[in-house]
Amino acid sequence: MAEQKRDVARMVEEGAKTAGLAIAPEYLPNVILNVERSLMIAQPLLELDLEDDLMSAPVFRP
Amino acid sequence: MTDPLSKAATATEISGAVMSGKVKAAAVIDATLKRIEAAEPTINAFTDVVAARARQRAAEIDAGLHRGPLLGVPFAVKNLFDIAGLPTRAGSKINVDGPKAERDGALVRKLEAAGAILVGGLNMGEYAYDFTGENAHYGPSRNPHDPMRMSGGSSGGSGAAVAAGEVPLALGSDTNGSIRVPSSLCGLFGLKPTYGRLSRAGSFPFVDSFDHLGPIARSAEDLALSFDAMQGWDSDDPVCTDRPADPTLPRLIEGVDGLRIAIAGDYFAKGGEPEAFEAVATVAKALGATRTVVLPQAAAARAAAYVITAIEGAQLHLPRLRTRPQDFDPDTRERFMAGALLPGAWYVKAQRFRRQYRAHVLKLFEEVDVILAPATPCTAPKLGQTMMTLDGVELAVRANLGIYTQPISFIGLPVAVAPLQRPGGLPIGVQLIAKPYNEQAALRVAAHLQKLGVAAAPPA
Repeated sequence: MAEQKRDVARMVEEGAKTAGLAIAPEYLPNVILNVERSLMIAQPLLELDLEDDLMSAPVFRP
Repeated sequence: MTDPLSKAATATEISGAVMSGKVKAAAVIDATLKRIEAAEPTINAFTDVVAARARQRAAEIDAGLHRGPLLGVPFAVKNLFDIAGLPTRAGSKINVDGPKAERDGALVRKLEAAGAILVGGLNMGEYAYDFTGENAHYGPSRNPHDPMRMSGGSSGGSGAAVAAGEVPLALGSDTNGSIRVPSSLCGLFGLKPTYGRLSRAGSFPFVDSFDHLGPIARSAEDLALSFDAMQGWDSDDPVCTDRPADPTLPRLIEGVDGLRIAIAGDYFAKGGEPEAFEAVATVAKALGATRTVVLPQAAAARAAAYVITAIEGAQLHLPRLRTRPQDFDPDTRERFMAGALLPGAWYVKAQRFRRQYRAHVLKLFEEVDVILAPATPCTAPKLGQTMMTLDGVELAVRANLGIYTQPISFIGLPVAVAPLQRPGGLPIGVQLIAKPYNEQAALRVAAHLQKLGVAAAPPA
């Protein structure tokens, strides 16, 4: 758990730099908490195996 | 017959009274504005009241210049709808610095073309990323059943204004449950139509993949009346359907005859408080529904909806997160920032899964017409409450009030909410879910429940 927390913190700090998003120190703990919460909520999706030929259904029509 | 000037009057009753000449539109607007003035210090549902505009419109109606099925009906809109001459707040402080809307949003224009009268813009959670109705800039919209409790979000002002009797009809938006959650917590009828059924033009977006607009009202008839007036293709919304309008109001008289109604099991039968499941059982019993169906992979659908919402919402606001982070509501800022950092691969997987889930759920609708599910896992939490216990598990309020609504809007199904008033307790709603473009089935069930006295708006 502690290792995952460090990983998420590192991901947030490095990802924010890449995205050009300056996260003030006072916002950082809550951003990390929300990424951790997203990881937890996303699990049922991330655990799924999808068929290779499953395509999304975009609305865009040329 | 309810007094058309009272706060209990429905849109149907008001339009009938104005059309018959029993009451003047000007008198309806005067009474409405007085009610708003009296209620607002407690309820805080409105951010803008357009009194002069409403009085002008009422005078025009009384002079015979306008006609339509919603003649003289006051309505208000979540403040992410454009209102000509006002900034489109979308619950934010930032947008107030932007340009004022040059014209009304498409649905505002459609309702006014049907004779209704706009009276103002309504409070909401910032940028619609909310299930609570709280807002750091404008204060929370308060639940009229207990002003110390949440109205639900993000269309909190829409729910609070109708439940308090300030207006009989309000428009909201629903991306993950933002019409259905306040309808449930405030005890009102609500309709989230099929994705693409109603134009979103002239409204501030949140998550393009799931954004829907729709009405909240005191009766099923009013949902049908306003929904019918708002249907129709609009070239300004790229996902708006070109299917012909399908009037629902004339079909309410059919009741539930011929409708196959089932109860959503598995995911939708756990993870909530007893009152959520008792409400579904009460509705099922009244309808004689005994069959249970399982929406396969609903937990993954909720997860995928969460991921798409986080990433699309963050992408939309990234420029503002870079330049004006201090001007966001703290309760949305850090969630948007987190969304900006989630892997793109999650997003693509969620969109691919969406098609698979859609196919599985549509298969169910070959055997049933309407599926019953809880609208919220609990009644209204207290304002400021951040954690809640559901089925023995402690969870964040903001992330979890929509656990039963997210898997439905994820694939754009139409849903009506039937409200159950609980004497001595707080109200709670039940979702009536239909297949795409079959709003009439959901509305017929809602109207039938109302006729039976099972579903009802709060007493005036």
